[in-house]
Amino acid sequence: MPKSATDIRHFIIAGVLVAIATVLMDLLLKALLPMPVQGSRQAQIIDQLTSWHLTLIAFLFSLVVVIMLYSLFVFRKSADDESEGAHFEGNTTLEIAWTVIPLIVVFVFGFFGIRALSDVTRAAPDEIAVNVTGFQWSWLFEYPDSGIVSSELVLPVDRPARMDMTARDVIHSFWIPEMRVKQDLVPGMTTTLRFTPVVTGEYSVDCAELCGLSHYSMVAPVRIVEQAEYEQWLAERSASAAPALANTDAGAETDAQSN
Amino acid sequence: MTLWSLGLVRGVVGQIVGFAAGMLLVIVSRLLFGLDPVWNEEPALVGGIIIGSIGFLIGVGALTDWFQWMRGIETPLHHGPPHGRPAWTRYFGVDYNHKVIGIQYGVTGIIMLGIGGMFAVVFRTELAASGFQFLDPANYNTYLSMHGWAALVAILLGIGGMANYLVPLMIGAEDMAFPRLNAFAYWINVPGLFTLLMSLGYGWDGGWTVYPPLSVLGPVGYQFTFWAVFLVGLSSILGSLNLIVTILRMRPPGMSLFRMPIFVWAVFATSLIQLTATQFIGQAFLMLSFERLLGMGFFDPNKGGAPILFQHLFWFYSHPAVYIFVLPGLGIISEILPVFARKPLFGYRWIALSSIAIALVGFLVWGHHMFTSGYGEYLRVPFMISTLLVAVPTGVKFFSWLGTMWGGKLSFPTPMLFVLGAISVFLIGGLSGPILATTATDLFLHDTYFVVGHFHATIFGGFVFPFFAAIYFWYPKITGRMYDETLGKIHFWLMTPAFWVMSIGQMSVGVMGMRRRIADYDPALGVEFGHLLVTIAGFTIAFSVLLMIYNLLHSAETGRVAGNNPWRSRSPEWQIPSPVPEHSYASPITVVGEPYDYGIPNSTYVRMAPLTAADD
Repeated sequence: MPKSATDIRHFIIAGVLVAIATVLMDLLLKALLPMPVQGSRQAQIIDQLTSWHLTLIAFLFSLVVVIMLYSLFVFRKSADDESEGAHFEGNTTLEIAWTVIPLIVVFVFGFFGIRALSDVTRAAPDEIAVNVTGFQWSWLFEYPDSGIVSSELVLPVDRPARMDMTARDVIHSFWIPEMRVKQDLVPGMTTTLRFTPVVTGEYSVDCAELCGLSHYSMVAPVRIVEQAEYEQWLAERSASAAPALANTDAGAETDAQSN
Repeated sequence: MTLWSLGLVRGVVGQIVGFAAGMLLVIVSRLLFGLDPVWNEEPALVGGIIIGSIGFLIGVGALTDWFQWMRGIETPLHHGPPHGRPAWTRYFGVDYNHKVIGIQYGVTGIIMLGIGGMFAVVFRTELAASGFQFLDPANYNTYLSMHGWAALVAILLGIGGMANYLVPLMIGAEDMAFPRLNAFAYWINVPGLFTLLMSLGYGWDGGWTVYPPLSVLGPVGYQFTFWAVFLVGLSSILGSLNLIVTILRMRPPGMSLFRMPIFVWAVFATSLIQLTATQFIGQAFLMLSFERLLGMGFFDPNKGGAPILFQHLFWFYSHPAVYIFVLPGLGIISEILPVFARKPLFGYRWIALSSIAIALVGFLVWGHHMFTSGYGEYLRVPFMISTLLVAVPTGVKFFSWLGTMWGGKLSFPTPMLFVLGAISVFLIGGLSGPILATTATDLFLHDTYFVVGHFHATIFGGFVFPFFAAIYFWYPKITGRMYDETLGKIHFWLMTPAFWVMSIGQMSVGVMGMRRRIADYDPALGVEFGHLLVTIAGFTIAFSVLLMIYNLLHSAETGRVAGNNPWRSRSPEWQIPSPVPEHSYASPITVVGEPYDYGIPNSTYVRMAPLTAADD
């Protein structure tokens, strides 16, 4: 083992270990953090960005932990050694380097972050609009084009959807984990959330903002279906008893409770 | 000696009497104004909380000297234990010595940490499996919310303990700048804590963030929380004012700012935040209280209010508060590391200034807690960038710690182990930050268990581990005896791996779809095993902390006598006897060197003598 702490061999060994650890950590992190089904176009963008973040985390984690562990083993004091370590108080070049390089990384990730944000929030011309109302502790979905009120959210696959949302009592938050994106519902104002489902299936919309006693169970079913099935559902709902009850709060709540 | 001679006992009686008087005041006022019904629970309780807290402060004697001054009576500062009573009694009443106040803060902090941890263990057990085991949703929400504020108050008390005990010692000052204000700032916490615990009787369900309208519509337990936080916040403001004045005005000759022990820099940065940000949460919580009591619609859209306004006020304090919590702990890491590396602190000025940089940038990032709130969408971009910037000064600290260790002569007694544990845990917390700061990825992770994992790692790495390191490190200075090294190491080796498991487990269930603050979850998420692991880890941490408490109590009687300077530290407090005498320094000290010049033979930092003509 080299004697001097500034011997180049120390840095080469540590550097190789950092590189190996980075690869292993990257695999481990992605195994420990399994994401739900990639159910929307937004999920694809967000997962890509997440993956870059995790790789950066794997590198920085390895960098710090490997150098720390290396120091702990290589530079540990032997039992009867009462002498002091090498006297160096710092290194301005190094300090500037590890200020400026992270600063550059911040702006690179900031740039990709801004791009991803504009991608996941962008409006589309052929959006299906749904009016969402959250209240303690349930959800209501109104389709303004057909006047349907439902306690289940049904959307066609591969069509951009826009949720125009408000809350009746306290703040709630709309979250379908498979769609990734999330937006609070605030009493007295309308908030908007956009996503484009790309995988058919049954999901659930969960309230993600603590909203009182039964917050944990403020969950509503979501079905992402083919366009034809969606149209059929719309037709069935329009033809059934719904029209008589639609557009009234009383009817809406009865509907919600009966489901 | 009678029980009545203990200030704490008089304070509790004062609070009970005051509480009754406050309730009576409200009832009588309602009677006089002809309000119906005369008995209205909520205003009566708030009256009780306010007058009860004043009653405590009068009873304990925190106001006595100031009352005397009003009457023109001089009250010379008393030193040493009270006349004719055992020395331990001074810890249970008003005492102006900063070392006593530091211990009072620290011990109260550990007690609150225990209470906060106990709530966590209870609801964590409930989460070990899906379905309801032994809690109902109402209890679950109350315990969860109590865990939040009990733990946060514990942290504020813990840093108060470290700062009050260490700062005057480290700068060679006789005491804090304003000893009476110091005692008052400690004692105002105590009725606050009782008030917080009383909220259990009524319940509240908003989590520590108490967002309206939920907190306005919920049970009356909220009022206790609002006022408890107000009292503790007042303590923060007064305590930080005292520390800033002490640090700026009471340093010895030769101790320029860049020759202060690095922990003092960290406390200085923290105090700047506490002094300037705490008002916001105090005000926000008062507004909630008044909205409930008087129907003022600050946050009620039906009365022209705005629910999101509260979130701005809340986070304008509560984000900087995170740096209040972690900066002193990071200072402890920087302080202890050179002693056990036998090397100078790498890049002292960079570390010192990075604390100030974090404190300043910390004021510009509050909006990242509100990415999904529905505030102006364009605001998400500047808040994303400002938040990512925090990584830069934080990175400087990490790299400088590595530079300190590299090439040292490292040894690993318990305090050093906890410092290394702190670095590893804070690293997990820090690295999980940027992905939450980036708006697009936060839209997924916000309000999930990933966030829970992130901030627990930040708080444990930035406060709990360094706090424990500090306790073990300065224990011989405080008690004069050594803690039990074997028990200390067992504590470390139980707690640290358990914490890694807990952090990673929380983050893992979070990305799998586990929301924050839910009393029960769908087993279909596949998170049950993760929750079981996290629960086991939680119990392991709790058990290891009990070991520490046993160690601290037991070793105070039986520990080996430590001597003045068992760690061979250069800091001034280690050059004087252990335990520290009533008047810490027999004579004023002079700083003649750099604080961390390990490795330069015969160099010293301080000389235990006043400045002489020869020094000029």
